[in-house]
Order: sequence, then C-alpha cells, then structure tokens
Amino acid sequence: MSLWLCRQESVKHPYYIEALGLPIYSSQELSYVIYNNPLLVLDDFVNEQLLTFLRDELNQGFLALKLERWLKNEENPDDALLVILQECDYYTAAEIAKYRQLIVNLRKLHPADFGKRKADELFELRQYGKALKLYRELLQISPDQVVDEIYFGRIWQNIGSCHARRFQFEEALEAYEKAYDKNGDQKVLEQIYKLSLLDDRLVLKSQYQLLVNEESKELWEQMLTDAREKAAASPEMEQLEQLFTKDPVKRQAGMSQLLLQWKREYRGMA
Amino acid sequence: MMDGLVLGIDLCDEYMQICCAEEDQSWMLPTVICKHKTTDAWYIGEDAYAHTLFGDGIIVDKLVKLTVKNGMATLGATRYQAAELLKIFLGKVLEFPEQKFGTMSVSQLVLTIPKLEPALIETLYLCFEQLQIPRKRIHIISRSEAFTYYVLSQKREIWNNQVGLFHLTAEGLCYYELKVQRGLKKTTVFTECETMEEGFNLDILDTPSGARLADKILCSCGERLLQRKLYSSVFLSGKGFEQQAWAEDFMKFLCSKRKVYVEPVLFARGAAFRAADFLHDKTSYPFIFICDGRLKTSVSLNVLHKGQDTVVTVAAAGDNWYECDTILEVIPDEQDTIDFLLTSLDGRSRRLIRLPLEGFPKRPNRTTKVRIQISFLDDQTMVVLLTDRGFGELFPASKIQIRQEVML
Repeated sequence: MSLWLCRQESVKHPYYIEALGLPIYSSQELSYVIYNNPLLVLDDFVNEQLLTFLRDELNQGFLALKLERWLKNEENPDDALLVILQECDYYTAAEIAKYRQLIVNLRKLHPADFGKRKADELFELRQYGKALKLYRELLQISPDQVVDEIYFGRIWQNIGSCHARRFQFEEALEAYEKAYDKNGDQKVLEQIYKLSLLDDRLVLKSQYQLLVNEESKELWEQMLTDAREKAAASPEMEQLEQLFTKDPVKRQAGMSQLLLQWKREYRGMA
Repeated sequence: MMDGLVLGIDLCDEYMQICCAEEDQSWMLPTVICKHKTTDAWYIGEDAYAHTLFGDGIIVDKLVKLTVKNGMATLGATRYQAAELLKIFLGKVLEFPEQKFGTMSVSQLVLTIPKLEPALIETLYLCFEQLQIPRKRIHIISRSEAFTYYVLSQKREIWNNQVGLFHLTAEGLCYYELKVQRGLKKTTVFTECETMEEGFNLDILDTPSGARLADKILCSCGERLLQRKLYSSVFLSGKGFEQQAWAEDFMKFLCSKRKVYVEPVLFARGAAFRAADFLHDKTSYPFIFICDGRLKTSVSLNVLHKGQDTVVTVAAAGDNWYECDTILEVIPDEQDTIDFLLTSLDGRSRRLIRLPLEGFPKRPNRTTKVRIQISFLDDQTMVVLLTDRGFGELFPASKIQIRQEVML
C-alpha cells in the first residue's frame, strides 16, 4: 500500500497511440500502455514522434536523448521500452524485471503466433479495423508445422468476428464460411447460424442448414433471445429511454452527445 | 530608495499607518473616507472629517468592519460596496509615498491587520490588484507577525530574552509577547497576542482622575503579565501611548530593570521590514515563526518517489496558513485512502488523518490519479479537496470531489 507521487507534467499536445486509438497525457499513461500492451509496442513504438513528446511535453529531455542514441546505435529496441519504464517511475524494479521476461518469451514465439496474438490483442481492444488488417496479412504466411489449416481456420474465424463487430454481416458470413471449410469447428457453425438470425437478408446455405440439428437451432435461438433481452435491460438502454422522457431541448442535446459518442466509438473500431 | 516602493501598512478600523522601508517618514490617518456631495472628489483621513464638518461631504467610517460584513454604504445617490470604498481609500493612501518619492511603482507591499479573516484578506488582495499592484507583490500578515519582524530587525540585545508590547488604542489594550527558542536545527520565534479585558476608553485620559485610574489599570496588567519573566525590552505603541505622562506609575514599573521603547508606527514598520525581506532571495530572518497567521502543525504525506519511501510536507509549521495553497497529484497503489500525518512543532505529537476515497470509481490498481489540494480556513482548520483525475482517456476522470475540513 502506498501513494505514488506524480511528476508535474503540463501536456498541451497529447501523444496519440495509434494502436489503441487513444491520446495519452502523462508519463504514467505511457508506462501503462507499454506495460499492458507489450505486443502492440514491441515493434516501431519508439520513434521520432514519441521522442518529441517526451522532450517537449513531458519535459524528459534526458530520456529522449538517451533513446535517440539508442536508436541511432541500432541497439535492441526492446530495451528502449525498459528504459522508458525505468525513467517514468510508474513501475517497480520487480515489475520491470517481470516485463523484461515477458518480452523475451514473446520474442521466442513463432512469427505466425506472434502476429495472431497481436491481432487478437487489437480485437480485445475493439480496434477491429487494425486487427482485420493484421489478420489478412497473416493469411499470406507460408504453411509450415505451426501454420496449418486449423491456424488459417482460426484466422478466418477472427476475420469474420471483426466484420461482425463492425456490422458488416455479409463479409462476416463469408469469412465464417471459409473458417468452417478449413477447420469444421462447431463454434463457427454456431456463429454462421446466429449471423443468419441477426440479419434477415443473409441466407443460410443449404449445406449449413443440413449440419444444424433442431436441438442446436433451439439452443442458439434461445441464446440470441436472451442476449437481446439482456441488451434491452442494460443501463445504456435505460439511459437512452430516460433521454426520451426529457424536454425537447435537453433531449436534443443528449442525443447529439450520444451520437457523437457512438460515432467516436465506431471510428475507433473502424 | 529602491526601484519601486517597499511599503508597510497597518490597517484597522480606527487608523491607517503607512511607511516605506529604510525611510523615517510615515503617515498616519483615521480610516475614514468621504465623498463630495456634488462632485466625484474623494477625501480620506482628516480631510474627510473636515469636509464632513464643512457639510459638503458624506463620510463612511469603520471601513474594515464594513468590508468583513460585505456591507454597502450609500453616498449621495449611489450605493457603494465596502470593498469599492476600501479600494478608493487604499488608492488615496498610496498617493502619500508615491508623491513623496516620485514613483508609482510598488516593489513589495506588506499589510498588517488585527485579525486575519480569509474574506478580508481576499478583498484586500483584490483591492490592490485593481490598483495595478501584482498579487505576487502583496502580502498580508498579522500584527503579531509585524511585531515579530520589527523586533527581529533590531539589535540582538533587544530580543535576547522575552519582548513585550503594550498596544493601547481606542479599540482596546492588547499585549504581545515574543520569545526566542534557540534549538538545534532552527531558531523558533513564538509571538502571542492577548486582548486585555481591562481596556478602557481613551477619553478618560482627558481628566486627572481618569488618567490615574488608567495608570492603575495598566500597572495591574503590567504586574500580572511581566512578573517572574526576564525581559530584554518592552515596547509601547498606539494612540494611548502618544503621551506617557498620564501613566507615571506604569512607566516607573516598566522602566525598572527593563529597556522600554515607544514606537508609534511599530506594526507598519514591522510590515515594511517584512516587505524589504521579500526583495531578497535569501531571507534575513532564518527563523521559524509561530504566531497568529502561521501554522503550528506540519502536514505531510508518505509517498513513493523514484522507488523510495519519501515524506512530502504539504504545509510546514511556521508557514502562513492563508498563503498556503498546495496542489499535488498522487496515484494510490492498493489503497483507497489518502493519509495525512499531522506533526506538532516539537515533533512529539503525531496524528494520522485518513480520508477514504468514497465514491471514486472502481478501476484497475494504479489507474486513478488523485489531485490533492490543501488550503486553510485558519491556523487550526485545514481544507482538503480530493479530486478524481482518472487516468487520461484510458480511464476518464469522473466529476467526483471530496471536500473535508480537518482540525489540526
């Protein structure tokens, strides 16, 4: 139990973390991003823009200079991340040592696994557009012991999920079908069926209709109904309903704000 | 003279005194303001009385009290806020040294008032700011502090032992006592003020019997206050001591075994000494001051800084409580409270004050930045404002604030 004293940082121009689609305003946030998203920061994270941010906004000229020399001498870029963590004073020495080990382990991964985990992390962060791009790149990898049909099936499945989260149901269905062709996973079949229920325009191909038994159909339909009911009772919906009970001026203002929020969220996903 | 004026002002409802550092001349006038009935002319002090007596002006007195009450006064057809009248009054007061020394620029200004009240202090700052004096050049101190600076600016033999001050005005009799405690680390100067119940109306000095009674009252006070203590000096100040002939027995008592000085402009001069000290990077008074307006308790926080447990002092004993406005940001690690450590001046008494971060959003560990703002209502009451600052856009700030008054 303790209190960490924060450095005085008056950031006027935040640093935009492309991978997260978020600006950061402090050395603590920078450390947090590095520490919690190692896959997203391992390659090309320390660049000229970051050095400018460290120097001009965080008043960390010494650190910027140190990193600049690091890059110039083509030293191990992973160590640059550790230097940032040490200088920003947000993690303990033990935590930084743990992070060092994590990086070492990540670097030992097969490139295909590394790429998939990175794309999965972007997916978890709702950065579906960026994840999609990476998944598509992974489809170009030459097959080997690790990269087999099952692997490609998972990639196609995740591509389908990225499209589905962006409400691109047609593309999602197409990707799920490819995934099922590769791995024949029952989970993918479930996603195909649920997608056809979500969007009336989508037609479930006969080959899939034959594969889905009545029991599964009933279960998945029930799951979708439950999910819809849960969504209808969510605090967000309640908030929305309350908005419509307000007077026209407040309603208008609230709606504008909500739309802006949705747009921002969707842009982040895209 | 320096580049700009270095001013000391003593202000109360009865009178106002102003003087410049390193200059003998001082000005004293009643704290009254008068507006001409038909023009926009303003008069202060004796001029104000003259115009009122002549019948062409309307006078307002007790300006300080009026300001504290946030009162108004109607002069002619216009209603004025007390603060507005005080500003005009102070502006006219500043004209005395400005005209004498031929400069409008003020390098430092220290004003002393009998009672430090936050509302009055703020109004005085605003008045001077409106008179084009930057806030950083304005300082407001208690009379106890002005007395302390006055005494410490004298030869050391004057304050080797205790120093007393009797301040007698129409508002009453006050006794100030200063003692110096030489310690291992820093010398501490304690100054206390006591308003005497035995105060009397100065009008009684106009008759021989009244003067005798007043002398007797003072003797009794003096004996009670000064007995069995070793004094280096005793000062007399205020309108009541402009003449001392009426206090024959009291003077006799005081002058035996003690050096006695009469200084009519003591508080203003003490304020001017303080103002002059502000001009230097290093203070000429390397002491801890414990007096009215200064904290008697230190407030600190245990924090982690560069991997080390460190104590951050947010307010130290001896700091001016009304000038203290500390802001810092911390990130709690596995704790949902902010703990302050209150330490008495001698370090013997310690108290932990724990403020829970009630209502703050639940977030992952170490992703809540808390802004801590410390200020004081008086030397016994600390105000802590805890604000949820979130963690950038990763964990946006809520609007939650906790305000807590802590008795020191």
